[in-house]
Amino acid sequence: MVSRILVPMDDSDHASQALEYALDNYPDGEISVLHVVGVPSMMMGEATALALEDDLSEAAAKRSEPVFERAHEIADEQGREINTVVEIGHPARQILDRAEEYDTIVLGAHGADWSRATRRFLVGNVTETVSKRAPVPVVIVR
Amino acid sequence: MVETLLAIGIVASIFVGFNIGGSSTGIAWGPPVGAGIVKKTTAAALMTFFVFLGGWTVGRNVMDTLSEGIITIDLTLSAGVAVLFFIGTGILIANIFGVPVPTSMTTVGAIAGLGLATDTLNYVTIAEIVSWWVVTPIIGFWVGGIIGRYIYPEVNRRVQIEKSDGPLLILDRDGTIPKPAFGPNTTWSEIGSTAVVLVIGCYMAFSAGASNVPNAAAPLVGEAGLEANIAIVIATLAIGFGGFTIARRTMDSVGGELSDIPLLAALFVMVTASTITTLLSWIGIPISLVMATVMTIVGIGWGRATRPVTFREAVTRDTEQSEIVPGAITAEEMEGEPAAPIGEEEPEEVLNAGDLFNPRAVMKYVSMWIIGPAVSTLLAYGFFILVPGVA
Repeated sequence: MVSRILVPMDDSDHASQALEYALDNYPDGEISVLHVVGVPSMMMGEATALALEDDLSEAAAKRSEPVFERAHEIADEQGREINTVVEIGHPARQILDRAEEYDTIVLGAHGADWSRATRRFLVGNVTETVSKRAPVPVVIVR
Repeated sequence: MVETLLAIGIVASIFVGFNIGGSSTGIAWGPPVGAGIVKKTTAAALMTFFVFLGGWTVGRNVMDTLSEGIITIDLTLSAGVAVLFFIGTGILIANIFGVPVPTSMTTVGAIAGLGLATDTLNYVTIAEIVSWWVVTPIIGFWVGGIIGRYIYPEVNRRVQIEKSDGPLLILDRDGTIPKPAFGPNTTWSEIGSTAVVLVIGCYMAFSAGASNVPNAAAPLVGEAGLEANIAIVIATLAIGFGGFTIARRTMDSVGGELSDIPLLAALFVMVTASTITTLLSWIGIPISLVMATVMTIVGIGWGRATRPVTFREAVTRDTEQSEIVPGAITAEEMEGEPAAPIGEEEPEEVLNAGDLFNPRAVMKYVSMWIIGPAVSTLLAYGFFILVPGVA
C-alpha cells in the first residue's frame, strides 16, 4: 500500500527541510504539500485581502505559488512528483482538518516568523498543536 | 534639579513622540505609499503638518482628560516623567516583541495606576473612558462589516483607482514661466483619485495627531512645567522626526500589511478609523488609532467573508446547515445579495472564506486591547505604591 504523506509548508527553511526529509524517507509515498494562506496577522492584511477577492480559490492559489514553486523545485531534484493543496485561515486547524486523509504528517520544527510575539499569540505553535492533536503519526523535522 | 527632571521628561516625551511618529505614519501613509501614489518623504511632510493640526485643535480635549480628568489632582513633574517612562516602556516592548501596544490606552492605564496608588482616581471619568474602549472596537467591527458586506462590493464595481506610468504632473518649461501640466499618461480620473487618496491620508494624519500628540505632551503640561502649546510643538516635531526616519521601515511593515488590502478597501478603513478616532478625541476620550484601524479591517474582511451566507447565519455561525440543504433558500437569504448567487452547488475543493475570520480569532484581537492597558495600570500602580515620593 502506498503511504500518503502530508507535508504542511510555509516559506521557512524548516518547511523545505521537512519536504526533503519526506522525499528521502518515503521513497514510494504519495506526498501532498499543504500551504495555508490568509493566516491571521497583526493587521489581518492578507486575510482581508483574500476575503475581498471575487474568486477566492484563484487568489489563494496565486498567493501560494512561491511556496509550491519551491516545493516543486525540491521534488524535481529527486525526480519526484508531489500534489499541492492550498487552504486558508488558521494553519493548525486546516492541517488537523485534513489529517485523517493521510497516514503520516511531516512538518518542520517551526515556521516562519515564529519569533514574532504577535504571530505566536495569533497563530500559536503550529507544530506543537498538530503533534498534540493529530489522529495520525507526526514526524517533526529539525 | 527641576530643570534636570524637566529635561529628562522632554527627552522621554520626544522618545514617545518619535515612536508614535513611526507607527502612525506607517498606518496613515502605508497604503498610498505602497500604491506608489505618494513618496515617503512627501508622506512624512504631510504627516507632520496634519498631526500638528490635529494635536493643536482636537488633541487639546484629550490632553485635558489625560492631565486633569483621570486623576483629581494635577500631574506633578516627577509623576509626569514617570508616566512618560511607562508609556515609553510600552512602546519599547511593542518594538522589541512586535506586539501591538495601543499607546493611548497605555497612557490612560499608567495615569490610572497613579490615581489608584494615590487615591486620586476619578472613577466617573475612567468608567466613561473604559466604556468607550469597549464600545469602539464593536463599532469599528460593525461599520467595517457593513462596508465589507454591502458597500465595498458595489463601490468596487464602479470605481477604479488609477495609477498610470510616469509622473502625475510635470513642469511645462516651454513658456517663460514654468507651469504645471499633466504627466504623459495622466488622466482626469487619476488626478481625482490621487486627490482623494491624499485627502484621506491627511485626514488620518489629523486623527493620529488628535489622539497621539496628547500621549507625548500631556504628562508634561500644567503643574509639571510646560505650556500646552510648547508641549504640542515638541510632540509634533518628535512625531514628524519619527515620520521622516523610522516610518520608512514601518511603512513597509505595518503599512505593507495594510497595502496588501486593495487600496479602495484601505481608504474605507482609513476613513472609518479616522472618523471614530477624531470623534472620540473631540469628546476627550483617549483612543488608539491602531485599534480602530485593525477592528475596521477585521470587520470589513469578516463582512465580506461571510457574504455568501445571510446576516443572521453569519452571526449564529449556522453556516454548515445552509450548505447542506440547497433547497432551503428563502427570500430572506436573497436580500442584498445580487452579486453572488447563494446556495449554488459548489465544487468539492471550495475554500470557505469564513475560515479567515472565525470568532475565536476575532476574540484574540479584542483581548490584545485589554492586556496592554491592564498591564500598564498594574505596573504604574505598583511603582507609585512602592515609590510614593514620586507622585
